[in-house]
Amino acid sequence: MALSLGSEVLPTMQAMTYDAKEARTNARDAAMRTLNRLTAGVAVGAFASVGVLAVVSAATIPGTSAAANTTAGSSTGTGSTTSTSSSSSSSSLQASSGVSSTTSGSGVAVSGGSHP
Amino acid sequence: MSDTFLWYVTRGAGAVSLVLLSGVVILGLLSTMRVQATGWPRFLTTGLHRNLALTAVVFLVLHIVTAVVDPFTHLGWGALIPFTSYYRTFWLGLGAIAFELLLAIVITSLVRGFLGHRAWRAVHWLAYGSWPVAVVHGFGTGTDVWAAWFIVLAGLCVGAVLIVAAWRLLARPVNPLHAPQATFRGSVQKRELP
Repeated sequence: MALSLGSEVLPTMQAMTYDAKEARTNARDAAMRTLNRLTAGVAVGAFASVGVLAVVSAATIPGTSAAANTTAGSSTGTGSTTSTSSSSSSSSLQASSGVSSTTSGSGVAVSGGSHP
Repeated sequence: MSDTFLWYVTRGAGAVSLVLLSGVVILGLLSTMRVQATGWPRFLTTGLHRNLALTAVVFLVLHIVTAVVDPFTHLGWGALIPFTSYYRTFWLGLGAIAFELLLAIVITSLVRGFLGHRAWRAVHWLAYGSWPVAVVHGFGTGTDVWAAWFIVLAGLCVGAVLIVAAWRLLARPVNPLHAPQATFRGSVQKRELP
């Protein structure tokens, strides 16, 4: 009796074990494919991001004409009197508005005190 | 090629390295918490952590090499020695330290089998120092510190790492042997009672 029960149960158990193993193997393979896809995606995305950020960085670096254009573009219309009119062409250098005037009068001499 | 091309690539690669390193730290924290879900086994977190770390090193090398060979900055290879560069000595020195710490972590991880778990783990703790030092380097040296895009990017990275680190600190330590140990203790107590 026990032998016949065993012979009936054994193939079922073997099938379950096989199914469970196969399911685990499939799940592992799927996870490995996900890992490979994610890694490749991150690498490609990172290379693309370097290019994009380099361009953005070039456009927003302080002190360049591109950054000045960006600033001017963003500030236009924000206020009634603050519309920035920047001369972005590098060839036209603006002369200094401040005029050094010769002042007449007596100079002031300060005496005493010394720096350590 | 513009003479400032390499300089822009340096800055782009630096920002990307910051994002990748933040991802590495987050995945490392998640792997210590044994996070998993349906379709996301634990080894996926660990594997992605490792692959992302190696990718981050590639982009850090790009960041460093373009900075060193760039005629616009003319830093020279001496910049790899901490606190010796003429250019923003302290902040650049922090970057060199962060890179060298990361290099130590990666190399010891690659030869982990020869080192043993304790030594590897001790060196791996340096990651918790490398990331903040790299962030401070980015804020100190970075030409783009006051650019909106960099503030948003760095803010997201720092915020994400801080949130996961807080989660890690507040979460109870995960002991994989907790259930079998409890069963064992229960069984022992039952046998001792009579």
